[in-house]
Amino acid sequence: MLGEGFLGTAAPRYADLVLLLEIGMGLALLIGAVLARKRMFRAHARCQSAVVLVNLAIVLLVMVPSFHVNVSPNIPAKLGRAYYRLPTVHAALGSITEIGALYILLVAGTNLLPQRFRVTNYKLWMRTVLVLWWLVLILGLATYLRWYVPGVFRK
Amino acid sequence: MPRRSVWLAGLATSVLTATLLLLAKPSVTANTAQSSTAEVSIDNFSFRPQTLTVAVGTAVTWTNRDDIPHTVVSDNGVFKSKARDTDEKFSYTFDQAGTYPYHCSIHPKMTGQIVVH
Repeated sequence: MLGEGFLGTAAPRYADLVLLLEIGMGLALLIGAVLARKRMFRAHARCQSAVVLVNLAIVLLVMVPSFHVNVSPNIPAKLGRAYYRLPTVHAALGSITEIGALYILLVAGTNLLPQRFRVTNYKLWMRTVLVLWWLVLILGLATYLRWYVPGVFRK
Repeated sequence: MPRRSVWLAGLATSVLTATLLLLAKPSVTANTAQSSTAEVSIDNFSFRPQTLTVAVGTAVTWTNRDDIPHTVVSDNGVFKSKARDTDEKFSYTFDQAGTYPYHCSIHPKMTGQIVVH
């Protein structure tokens, strides 16, 4: 996985794979939203739940270790540089979004949370998380370009 | 000046000159050591020169001139740097002849090699 990537950039194979998986999952969330509009709620729930849980695994197994090694030792000293600023904002907003998505899974898909911790306005929460998710995805794409494509987002 | 004083002055001058020459010897050695160094520049996602040929005992220094971090990692585990940011350096002295291919672990397409003879 540490060998050369397959997208023609300077990225290692695992980074190319994660990028494609994340784009695919972003598109899957949009398809899941369409399923909800078509009142196919069971398929909607399965689609969105799978994406949120697979993303959680990728974050914990790949992104957190990479951030710990490559970015966090340089915070806050080098936050003025896009190389560190982009993944930092991506990580901060991404953490909020993933936690929000997991909260929706708990509220909408289980009875684990007590009533006083449950929201009823599902649509607003889900749409907000979907918008945030795509914002985080774009930040992740920007990070990939800065890290692995020469000349992109210099300084 | 008495003849004895002249003789003593001459002896003292010779001893002083010999002492200075002895003290000067290490600096000659240092110059020799300085000449057995070589540089590799890291710029725009590449190592320059990509292949560097050096003599045994040469210390090679990689300097990151790029605006993002890179590493210098031997393919066969001989040397390995941490991430070197802009203008940071990494050095390794090659004590054995051979060919040492290396790469950047963050950007595996970046490769180079040191040939030591």
